[in-house]
Amino acid sequence: MSDGTERHRQDTGLHQLYYDPNIENKNLAQKWLMQAQVSPQAWQFCWALLSPDKVPEIQYFGASALHTKISRYWSDIPSDQYETLKTQLFSQIACFSSGSKMVLTRLCVALASLALNTMPEVWPGAVPEMVRVFQEEGGGVDGRARCLALLELLTVLPEEFQTSRMPQYRKGQVRGALGREWGSVCPLLQQLLRQGDSPGAVKARVLRCLSSWVLLDVPLSESEGLVEDCFTALPDPELFDTAVEAIVNAISQPDSQRYVNTLLKLVPQVLSLQEQLREAVQNGDMETSHGICRIAVALGENHSRALLEQVAHWQGFLALVNMIMFCTGIPGHYPVNETTSSLTLTFWYTLQDDIMSFDCERQAVYLQVYRPVYFQLVDVLLHKAQFPSDQEYASWSSDEKEQFRIYRVDISDTLMYVYEMLGAELLSNLYEKLGRILTNTEQASSWQHTEALLYGFQSIAETIDVNYSDVIPGLIGLLLRININNVQLADTVMFTIGALAEWLADHPVMLSSVLPLVLQALGNPDLSISSVSTLKKICRECKYDLPPYASNIVAVSREVLSKQIHKTSQCMWLMQALGFLLSALHVEEILRNLHSLITPYIQQLEKLADETPNPSNKLAIIHILGLLSNLFTTLDISKQEDESGESTAPPVKTAPLPPGPNPVVVVLQQVFALIQTVLSKWLNDSQVVEAVCAIFEKSVKTLLHDFAPMVSQLSEMLGQMYSTIPQASALDLTRQMVHIFARETDHFPPIKALFELVTSVTLSIFQQGPRDHPDIVDSFMQLQAQVCFWFLISFTLGFSLVLSLSLSLTHTLSSSLFLFCCGLVVQENGKLLLQAVLEAIGGGSSRSLMEQFAEVLFSLNKHCFPLLTVWLKEALQAQGFPSTRVTTEQKDTFTQQILRERVNKRRMKDIVKEFTLVCRGLHGTEYAAEYCL
Amino acid sequence: MAYQLYRNTTLGNSLQESLDELIQTQQITPQLALQVLLQFDKAINTALANRVRNRVNFKGSLNTYRFCDNVWTFVLNDVEFREVTDLVKVDKVKIVACDGKNQVNDYFSHSSLIIRPSQ
Repeated sequence: MSDGTERHRQDTGLHQLYYDPNIENKNLAQKWLMQAQVSPQAWQFCWALLSPDKVPEIQYFGASALHTKISRYWSDIPSDQYETLKTQLFSQIACFSSGSKMVLTRLCVALASLALNTMPEVWPGAVPEMVRVFQEEGGGVDGRARCLALLELLTVLPEEFQTSRMPQYRKGQVRGALGREWGSVCPLLQQLLRQGDSPGAVKARVLRCLSSWVLLDVPLSESEGLVEDCFTALPDPELFDTAVEAIVNAISQPDSQRYVNTLLKLVPQVLSLQEQLREAVQNGDMETSHGICRIAVALGENHSRALLEQVAHWQGFLALVNMIMFCTGIPGHYPVNETTSSLTLTFWYTLQDDIMSFDCERQAVYLQVYRPVYFQLVDVLLHKAQFPSDQEYASWSSDEKEQFRIYRVDISDTLMYVYEMLGAELLSNLYEKLGRILTNTEQASSWQHTEALLYGFQSIAETIDVNYSDVIPGLIGLLLRININNVQLADTVMFTIGALAEWLADHPVMLSSVLPLVLQALGNPDLSISSVSTLKKICRECKYDLPPYASNIVAVSREVLSKQIHKTSQCMWLMQALGFLLSALHVEEILRNLHSLITPYIQQLEKLADETPNPSNKLAIIHILGLLSNLFTTLDISKQEDESGESTAPPVKTAPLPPGPNPVVVVLQQVFALIQTVLSKWLNDSQVVEAVCAIFEKSVKTLLHDFAPMVSQLSEMLGQMYSTIPQASALDLTRQMVHIFARETDHFPPIKALFELVTSVTLSIFQQGPRDHPDIVDSFMQLQAQVCFWFLISFTLGFSLVLSLSLSLTHTLSSSLFLFCCGLVVQENGKLLLQAVLEAIGGGSSRSLMEQFAEVLFSLNKHCFPLLTVWLKEALQAQGFPSTRVTTEQKDTFTQQILRERVNKRRMKDIVKEFTLVCRGLHGTEYAAEYCL
Repeated sequence: MAYQLYRNTTLGNSLQESLDELIQTQQITPQLALQVLLQFDKAINTALANRVRNRVNFKGSLNTYRFCDNVWTFVLNDVEFREVTDLVKVDKVKIVACDGKNQVNDYFSHSSLIIRPSQ
């Protein structure tokens, strides 16, 4: 294709990309242009595209192609052509300095990339040369445009360095070279910024350029003068944003903490901005107050330790802290009237950390000064956390409300942390304030004020043990005095009670005061989450003190459940709460309460079981089954401490069990037939089956060996279910049963029969094609791993089959394989195993599992070396195995490497990883290098 | 550039497995796969910083900690996680955290956290 046609095609392509309404044409054009950009011809056509008669879009493409070539295909260029390329770029930049800005920037980036490729050896004085070239008169371009172009070039140079991908050693080299160039850049910037007649646009560009260079860690002492100049630029609205950015970047450099003297000089400069800040706040100028706050916070947050240590300058730093306090307490509601206060929160953590990390003696001195400051901070934060008036809050968008909620969570976290410094005195302080406003009969306080103080309490009590605080009984007394006339206030009252649940467990006498509040709130749908979660916390922490209130709690819960006041998830939480509650009752009591609680649901389920399946009764069935599961999750009469039930081995019970069957088992046996009826109609539906299995799974986890009377019944049902329609949840339940009962001789026969049945059913599914049932494969393998763990029995057939079908294997399976390797079975079926492993390495399995497969190979090599030598040779002989991408030589090398490695497991893993990349066609790609597994 | 630590999550791993498969079947090039991965880094960093608002409290005993290359690592024993009403106990947890502050924007300070049970 001639050059002319090629260029025409690019023009058309670009036209399509930008202006063609048809998306397919656009995509095609983009694909073609991307290819053109990296093609060898790009070196030629990009210059033509930059010609002045082209439209800016085409010129931009040319400049961009040039940058791509220089940054990624640098090795294409013979070194004797560097100079020509550089000159061409300089002249193009000069041309575009008064042309399109986007093209100019791209060209500058291209030249920057060239400079980075040639620094420091080939082009040692890059920056001085750039400055010189642009200072020379000529080319018909005016001085201002040349100056702006130079500044653009100097700005993108460090940026291009930050984003370029170069080897580590080279990065260090170039970084050092660039650092040295700062000596030429700094005076230039200073001169331009200080010249009275410099246009605003030039000054703004200077500030941007400074921002870009300080990110390279240039010493703060060297940029000190420029940073001072930035402060003088702040009153100019045109320069404000860029000046703020430059100051913040300079102050935030990690290295800047070494220049304490410079930092000390910055403190009065920052303090001098207070007047401008106050004015901005008064005028509602959010941008200005935000910017000044960023500067103050940057100095305080990054250098609090260094500045604290300058004891002689303590007043200056305290003034800075107070300035930041002003920003924290900036008037108005977040996020509607202001967005600045949230910037300061991290500063308070940092300052506190720095003070607390001093030795005791110095800490005491600092605390004398800063404890009052932090008490003031608590007041400020609680003021900021207050809700606006009802009317104003109603006018907020849902997004603003959510932002405000998040802001309050941030405040809550800060308060919790501040408590570490202020200790119990903080709680007393809050208590006194709350007491004052609740007992003040002369002046009614706003609900917002009360709510914020309680929120402060809750923030602390939620995570910190408040047991030793003597104000909690008084607080509970105050809670009862609150006139709850607002949903937010009611929510916070509930959450505060919830946060005190652990304290209540140690002071059960107070339960009678708070429970009526909680039970009353339970009937209010607006308080659904707060009331249910509080009841759950109380039931969990205080169950042994709740029996006197149990019937009342159950009655209220039954009522709210029947009135359908709460959403599904809250209903589930409520059932868990009741499970905790019932656990502490006598068996007869439990049974009585259970019956009264669940009978309505059983009746409803009976009715639903008779109906023809449809989507609405499906939801109802799942809901009822969910309620039962959640109830049985927490109903544990064994007083067992471990509530999570997540441990790997069945926990051993220590408490003596009450005589007679476990009440949960009694109930389960009563509803067993009903569940079977439900199943018979819904066996096809994985969600219903899952819900049924969940009931038993949760019960087994909680009851452990108490579940024994049902083992045989359940095994039979599971077997029937699975043989009719295999579902993963049935396998998971089987695994749970194996886990708990397989070692008990009494229960071994039904478990064994179930295991054999599900294995044979699963194998027959696999023969039809396991790819359609990944969930079953996963659950089945986990079951096998469980069985393997207990019995160490051979199950070669199962997994060899799966392996040979090249499924994505689970971690569990791989570890099973490893175990399996140790067995005698290896000698008989080892070749099959090896083939499967090789196939997996060849691309059949996820790359994340290669380490496990390497372990299998390592283990085979260690224990059956002679056999492995033969098997490897035989297996890899086959053409195209394990991948068509590997050559015979590569396979031979792999074999030799494997057989040689009998000591170093890490090396074996590397060999396997390397080989798998070759097999997958990924070897040597940047993508594979980035893969982090 | 966005943090890459979320590549080693269930979502990240699944994405990488899918990309591998697409490369093996020659449906995409490794270069494109790399772009997807970089896009994933960007998207997940932004999403976790801006869209997730859940709050979980946890406590446990600190076994080991280190701060290296701006990455905090904590190994905790006997940890209890509490989220509104749920309580989860884990024997051993490893927390890897990077400073999310300069990642997303300057206005909010978040940490990028990955918590996983230790193996």
